[in-house]
Amino acid sequence: MRIAAIVFSPLLALAGGLFFLGLARKVAARVGWRCGPPLVQPVIDIIRLLNQSSVSHGGLFSLGIVFALAGAAAVVLFLPLGGPPPFRESGGLLAILYLMLLAPLGIALSGGAAANPNSSIGVSRSLILTLAYELPFLLILLAVMTRYGTISLVKIVESQAGGGWAIFSLPLLLSGIAYLLILPAILGFRPFEIANAPQEIASGALVEYGGRFLALATIQQALNLFIGPALFVNLFLGGAGNPLFFFAKMLAVFTGVLLVNAAYPRLRLEQAVGYLWRWPTLIALAGLAAVMWW
Amino acid sequence: MKLELILAVAFGGALAAYPAGKISSRLRNILVVGAALFPAAALAGLYGVRTGNVFYSGFLGFPLILRIDTLSWLFAVTVSVLGALGAVFSLGYIREGEVSDFYYPNFLLVNTAMLGVVLAGDLVSFFIFWEVMSWAVFLLICHKRGRALAAGIKYIVMSLIGSGAIFIAILSLRSAAGTLVISRIAPALAGQPPGFLLWLLLLFSTAFGIKNALWPLHAWLPPAHSEAPSPFSAILSGVLVKIGTYGFILLFYVLIGRNAFLGLGRGWFSPSHLLSLAGGVTILVATFIALRQDDAKRLLAWSTIAQAGYIFVGLAFGTGLSVAGGLLHFLNHAVFKALLFLAVGTVEFRTGGVRDLNSLGGLSGRMPFTAAAAVVGVAGLIGVPLTGGFVSKWMLYQALILGRSPFLAFAALFGTWGTVLYGYKLIHHIFLGQLDRKYDGLRPAPFSMRLPMAVLALAVMVFGVFPGWPLTVIDNIIGHLGFDPLGVTAGGMISQSGALNTLNLLAAVLVSCLLAAAVLKAGRKTPRVGPEDNYAAGTVVPRDRYNFTVSFYDPLERMLKPYLRDFADEFGRKLTGRGRTFFGLVRRIYTGDVRDYVLYIVVFLALLILTQLGWRPWR
Repeated sequence: MRIAAIVFSPLLALAGGLFFLGLARKVAARVGWRCGPPLVQPVIDIIRLLNQSSVSHGGLFSLGIVFALAGAAAVVLFLPLGGPPPFRESGGLLAILYLMLLAPLGIALSGGAAANPNSSIGVSRSLILTLAYELPFLLILLAVMTRYGTISLVKIVESQAGGGWAIFSLPLLLSGIAYLLILPAILGFRPFEIANAPQEIASGALVEYGGRFLALATIQQALNLFIGPALFVNLFLGGAGNPLFFFAKMLAVFTGVLLVNAAYPRLRLEQAVGYLWRWPTLIALAGLAAVMWW
Repeated sequence: MKLELILAVAFGGALAAYPAGKISSRLRNILVVGAALFPAAALAGLYGVRTGNVFYSGFLGFPLILRIDTLSWLFAVTVSVLGALGAVFSLGYIREGEVSDFYYPNFLLVNTAMLGVVLAGDLVSFFIFWEVMSWAVFLLICHKRGRALAAGIKYIVMSLIGSGAIFIAILSLRSAAGTLVISRIAPALAGQPPGFLLWLLLLFSTAFGIKNALWPLHAWLPPAHSEAPSPFSAILSGVLVKIGTYGFILLFYVLIGRNAFLGLGRGWFSPSHLLSLAGGVTILVATFIALRQDDAKRLLAWSTIAQAGYIFVGLAFGTGLSVAGGLLHFLNHAVFKALLFLAVGTVEFRTGGVRDLNSLGGLSGRMPFTAAAAVVGVAGLIGVPLTGGFVSKWMLYQALILGRSPFLAFAALFGTWGTVLYGYKLIHHIFLGQLDRKYDGLRPAPFSMRLPMAVLALAVMVFGVFPGWPLTVIDNIIGHLGFDPLGVTAGGMISQSGALNTLNLLAAVLVSCLLAAAVLKAGRKTPRVGPEDNYAAGTVVPRDRYNFTVSFYDPLERMLKPYLRDFADEFGRKLTGRGRTFFGLVRRIYTGDVRDYVLYIVVFLALLILTQLGWRPWR
């Protein structure tokens, strides 16, 4: 049973993430009155990329992308996806937070080893953007953990099953709103598509990837698209009793992000940092203060 | 083995290294490595031993005592093992010459004095070893002369302030408690008013805070760490700063005692909380100043201040979990920071003294071993899962969150994300990006420099995968300090509030890694290409012209610049400037004219006679 869960949950996340990737292109196209590629286009792309030849820029270049993908896959094993996660007691939300770090770090290592200035610029941008959204993000997570008095994500979900969704309980409402405000930045969608801006810096850290490397990077991106909303559903929408409900909740959240993505242009980096450190941070701070002294 | 024998042999080795160097450098090298390894080997066997004895009783009527318990053991072993690794690294790093004869005795002297500090069983011998340590460190910081001399002066001035504070504190303790034997002080202080305990806290915290580089007492550390010879920077950062940490543990939980310390004040205004806040400020300020550094060793120096802040928050916060987390982070930090200083030192050694991050790049192809060691070190520094730093930081965060101090937890967590930025900057600017042509012929590090790095890198990973080993020792220590046990398992711990199992993490990450690597390796072979094959929008670029390093985090730096000044250092500079003006004026009384001096004497005598006659100006 547990073995099945270990195999099943990354596959579920991968399928969901690839669906989200396809959906993102489709929605962006439809909002602009275009037809857009079919929903399975990312899958076709990955199969094609896996069969193409690729070149490497050395050991750290390959190691980085492997670490990035492994980090993203490992996070999924600790997330409840409409049921208890395969690995239950392993450091809770704090460990998840740290595992989420492996993906950007791995990409950064790999991108730096490629010795292309475009990728260095992309990495610099992505790390600054990460730092920018981590400020409100950490405040949100701390508010939730302080409210429920635990660091275990499973226990947070269980508490909500008894006491209603966190986003509708008054002190956590502000934190939930702040999470929604920074979700596009976590997922790297417009207006925060700064780190891999294809027209400016040739996809940033991904510029030297081709063939199997690009396939792995796309899979990592798909998992990343899955993790951001999944965490929101677990923290604020009470998780779910089965994977189907869970996915439905995620889809609702994700569609909102896609509409924002389709409507906005890209911000400059300092504008993005300025925004993230102003409204989301203030709201998250107010949320944490409310949890502490309500 | 008797403790005084270990110390005597270590001191003897330090003194003998100088004449041995005059005879032959090979003899000296053997002697140095032997003298550095001996205490490590002798102390390792003393785990779990609790003993102490008077080794000299005639010093002004005070008995001088050496003793060992698990706390001293942990610090002593860390000090001596790092000392031995630093000595081995020095063999390659320190170029032969006149000054090398002077370097080794000092190096061993510092290590031995640190051992003495952690093994001292009474405050008089503690103070004596403390002073020997401070002076020997001063000589080593100044080793390279030039700019190092200014750094050394700054260090010794602050260090002397700390020594003065300890001295006053010892005198106050002597008159209040009547004893200076460390284990007898806490019971003797039982009836003292809280004001006296605060006074002790203030004095000792000044001294230990300066050594521990606690904000705002950190000003000496960045220049000292960056100017000292690299193997000694590793010792400075890895263990010497932590002697301040040891002092704090001694102060909070042994001299004053856990209950008395945590019982002082109430809520926000308790010393425990205020000191934790100082630790939180240290983390944030030092992390973001480190982000702006362009000198590799200066960046690491600021990072040391920030990480010492983590340790200090854990100690001052005062729950069993937080103190254990602080102690574990002490151990981990000693390992990974020493590793990073050695890696940077290797680069400095091979490139002919280049530490400027903007003029390096792409060295991973030339020094793959050093690059790998640095990546492991930075991973430990950030606290990537499966390295030692992860476990200790996890414990600290958990303690702070469950202790309902989310703002302190926020400082610690956000500091970690700042660490990601400067840690990556260090790796990227030195080892990634394009290689400058002038470094084409760079050779890898010699074996004597690679060996210490290999040992330390292994330790970073072992402490991350099997944290149960160090945690067992730490569980024992906090038990003696009066806290509840942790519930240690091989892969972490199981407690009421949350469990950690690094073996699960290891399994998850390892299997995912293998799968991803299999996909990457499957199919056709991947040819390796150089940077000249890079995408450059259809143009050909020269190989070493396009390296993005200068102002790497520019938008962020510009935004943070107005807030991120080293206010403490600026205050110190202003103070010394004012002092110079004032004392320049005072100096004018030395006119060089005998008649003026006679006048001073006459005025002074007149004042004395007046007071004798019954004029009391102060009434």
